[in-house]
Amino acid sequence: MTKRESTHAPPPWQTSGSLLQSRIVCISRGPLMLAIDFAQATVPASGALALLVPDGPVLTGVAAEADQATGGALTRAFAAAKFTGKKGSTCTILAPAGGLSRVVAIGIGKPEELTAFAIEEAGGAAAVALASETDAALATGTLSPDLAASAAMGAVLRAYRFDRYRTKEKADDKPKLAALSILSADPAAAVTAWEPMSAVADGVFLARNLVSEPPNVLFPAEMAERCQELEKLGVKVEVFGPKEMTKMGFGMLMGVSLGSVTEPRMVVMRWNGAPKGKKGKAKPLAFIGKGVTFDTGGISIKGAGGMEDMKWDMAGAGAVVGAMAALAGRKAKVDVVGLVGLVENMPSGAAQRPGDVVTSYSGQTVEIINTDAEGRLVLGDVLWYCQERFEPAFMVDLATLTGGIIVSLGHEYAGLFSNDEPLAQKLLATGTAWGEKLWRMPLGDAYDKMIKSEIADMKNVGGRPGGSISAACFIQRFVNGVPWAHLDIAGTAWSGKDSPTIPKGATAYGVRLIDRLVAEHYEGDAAAE
Amino acid sequence: MMRVRIAPGTPHGPVVLPVPVGQPRPGFTARNGEAAFVGGQWLVALGADPEAAGALAAARLDGKRATLDLRALSPADAVAFTTGVCLRAWRYDRLRIIKDAHRLTHLDLLTDTPGPLRRAWRPQAAVLDGVAFARDLVAEPSNTLTPNGFIDRLDALAVAGVKVQVLKGHALRRAGLGGLLAVGAGSVHPPRLVILRWPGTIDADPVVFVGKGITFDTGGICIKPARGMEEMRADMAGAAACAGAMLALATRRSPAPAAAVLALAENTTGAASYRPSDVLRMGSDMSVEIVDTDAEGRLVLADALDWAVRHLQPAAMIDLATLTGSIVTALGSQMAGLFDNDAGFATQLAACAAEIGEPVWRMPIGTSHRDDLKSDIADIRHCVPGRGQPDACHAAAFLREFVGQTPWAHLDIAGMEARETADDRYAAGPSGFGVRLLDRLIAQCFEDPHR
Repeated sequence: MTKRESTHAPPPWQTSGSLLQSRIVCISRGPLMLAIDFAQATVPASGALALLVPDGPVLTGVAAEADQATGGALTRAFAAAKFTGKKGSTCTILAPAGGLSRVVAIGIGKPEELTAFAIEEAGGAAAVALASETDAALATGTLSPDLAASAAMGAVLRAYRFDRYRTKEKADDKPKLAALSILSADPAAAVTAWEPMSAVADGVFLARNLVSEPPNVLFPAEMAERCQELEKLGVKVEVFGPKEMTKMGFGMLMGVSLGSVTEPRMVVMRWNGAPKGKKGKAKPLAFIGKGVTFDTGGISIKGAGGMEDMKWDMAGAGAVVGAMAALAGRKAKVDVVGLVGLVENMPSGAAQRPGDVVTSYSGQTVEIINTDAEGRLVLGDVLWYCQERFEPAFMVDLATLTGGIIVSLGHEYAGLFSNDEPLAQKLLATGTAWGEKLWRMPLGDAYDKMIKSEIADMKNVGGRPGGSISAACFIQRFVNGVPWAHLDIAGTAWSGKDSPTIPKGATAYGVRLIDRLVAEHYEGDAAAE
Repeated sequence: MMRVRIAPGTPHGPVVLPVPVGQPRPGFTARNGEAAFVGGQWLVALGADPEAAGALAAARLDGKRATLDLRALSPADAVAFTTGVCLRAWRYDRLRIIKDAHRLTHLDLLTDTPGPLRRAWRPQAAVLDGVAFARDLVAEPSNTLTPNGFIDRLDALAVAGVKVQVLKGHALRRAGLGGLLAVGAGSVHPPRLVILRWPGTIDADPVVFVGKGITFDTGGICIKPARGMEEMRADMAGAAACAGAMLALATRRSPAPAAAVLALAENTTGAASYRPSDVLRMGSDMSVEIVDTDAEGRLVLADALDWAVRHLQPAAMIDLATLTGSIVTALGSQMAGLFDNDAGFATQLAACAAEIGEPVWRMPIGTSHRDDLKSDIADIRHCVPGRGQPDACHAAAFLREFVGQTPWAHLDIAGMEARETADDRYAAGPSGFGVRLLDRLIAQCFEDPHR
């Protein structure tokens, strides 16, 4: 292990200038979040109104009232547009009789097929349809208070916008919608349901912000500082610098960081929310994220085309930080640890070379074949540390690990690799239900043997064929019998197009998957199973 | 092909004795993967996988003949062991003037129960004939194995009782198979659609195999780089596997009705080649915008699948194709990609594949994969431009458009059709991947008349 002086301060071009001084506090409700309030279900006198309309011929509740207040405009418009409430369909009526500026009907399909995620998508559609309005309400019809909150969630998630670096945008070009009133039969119950969801939305926004930040602003030390803001939510945060990690023997992670003047960090976040006094101490759940704040590839440098995308090579870490914020923010009744390995991968005179052999924290040696296969090196040391220190119930790592997974699955599914069937099944089901889809990929000796090295215990790449799988096999060598899943999110961390609840850009893929996995299987009654 | 004699009067060649793992003898520790010449005979460690032990024996043997001492083995294990020997010993040497004097071609099996062994061996010998047939086809170079050359080789199937029908020229045009015709248009060796039928004895709709048979793939106008292009003679491995499976079923007199549709063409550059941006009218009447002429396999398969649905009333369809580089990136050369429109059928198929040692991994056809194929000018485009695309998923989404409601599975076997180097377990060269899988699927799921 090469020892490295760690006295570098971040270079001046990264600390000075106006960008950092205007730091947005990510944890508190920033200006980015659409303000939500819940009100009784009556037709407002003015402003815009969105209606969630189930598939069927009869208008009820607020929709019926609105139809009456507009002199039957809805009935006529629906008939003219052949709008029946089919899922995904919308019908807009501008300035109908009465005081409303706009009525937007959003079809939510057959009532018996409704899911919370489908309602979120409808809420997202409402946010888009109402974007140019300043005074807007969303009527949730006969939906339960929980689903009314889900509609709010969808609207909030979709209304996100990362615009802190737009200094000259005209007011007319910005979305106007800053607040949305959710009309529900039981506003008080909807508020109760919304509180934890709002915390999860905060976590999603935190992750999206981190992923969207440019790499000259968000380098490892800066990201570690932002992690420390989670202390406000009651999360215990420890930050490890190069001195500590060198001393501990994180040879793989430190090797990746050699080429950059920015120092690496490992951040350990702990949320202890499990109820006290339970018999024995439950093992914590562990989530581990790859946080390469910028990946040039190092000496095995990438092609120039599209390299700017490599700012989101820390999206796995971003998701873990966001998920920790979500769980702590909603005071999840569970013990969770989140660990992120933060480095920048740069070519330089001090950089790691192809051919180098490094000794990992686990003691295993690794021959570096390609310095652009750096994520697995970072993860390996952090995973080993995690299981040694915390003996977790399971570990789930998230990483924008391989281009191969995009060639395998595209952008609709993340790759799921796991040594544990129950954990894998829970992840698959959760991902399907909440729109963060996973597809199971194989592991096994036939692939593991691709990373045999002539000189060390293993090499860090196994070739293009099955490359995502041999990468997962590499990571598995740093899993010591603990149930484990690896999510290769290279294809899902960033989106080139809008989806109902996610504007294009950083998706925060993984935050909701983790939150729902924990909520549905490891909290309260579910934890006893 | 291997000549196998069961309990012959005078066995020939060195004796091979499988020794169960954990039962060491002097000079032999009987550890898994061990083979040694001890006391005048070959000892081979026999572990949980007798086929692997047989393969190891064949890898060590050096000579035309050998005698397998299978007296201590059950008929099933004896068959598996012999199967391993036969598959590992395969070699293509038809084109050599000087034949390999050391190639193992004759096996004598020693047994105390010749009756049961013979009964167990006979159907397996048929399957191995099918595998060898497919391997020979894949190995044959493209100057002799043109579409017509391929059809000539199918005489072996006719002899076994398979009905062979060939559609060419006018018949293809009348059927409107625009995909197959366009892909074959650049070559002086015109395209063919071959239908193989095995009636079986059960009164049921046939299971239909559909094979991609590009006898050589230059890429066409979107020509491939020169390096590695010689491997493209194997781009008909899907069709070869289908033909091999039909030979196996017919030779072992399977009661299940089966059929195969082989789409044979050479994809090459020529004055009449189809171009990127062409729009083709397929056999199904669907219009297809061409993005990349090197994505030709899905075009010929689409016409073949559609033809099968219209003319054969399949109970189920499985297509095999060396279709995409994307699946090699995804799964390497360890597993084939399985795409489907029927989870139950796919699960059956995957189970058969695992049992037989031709593993497959289920892959998705997501809504985004179909959406990506929207064309600005036609009903659909056949692939998506640009690098880094999930092309295997796109290809499967494309093919699904041509299968209607028929239960269907698509095996992308690129990466599985041949091995670069030999090892103790597998011979170098064509693998015959798919023949045993299809045969097992029929045996397991379609031979019960009351199913």
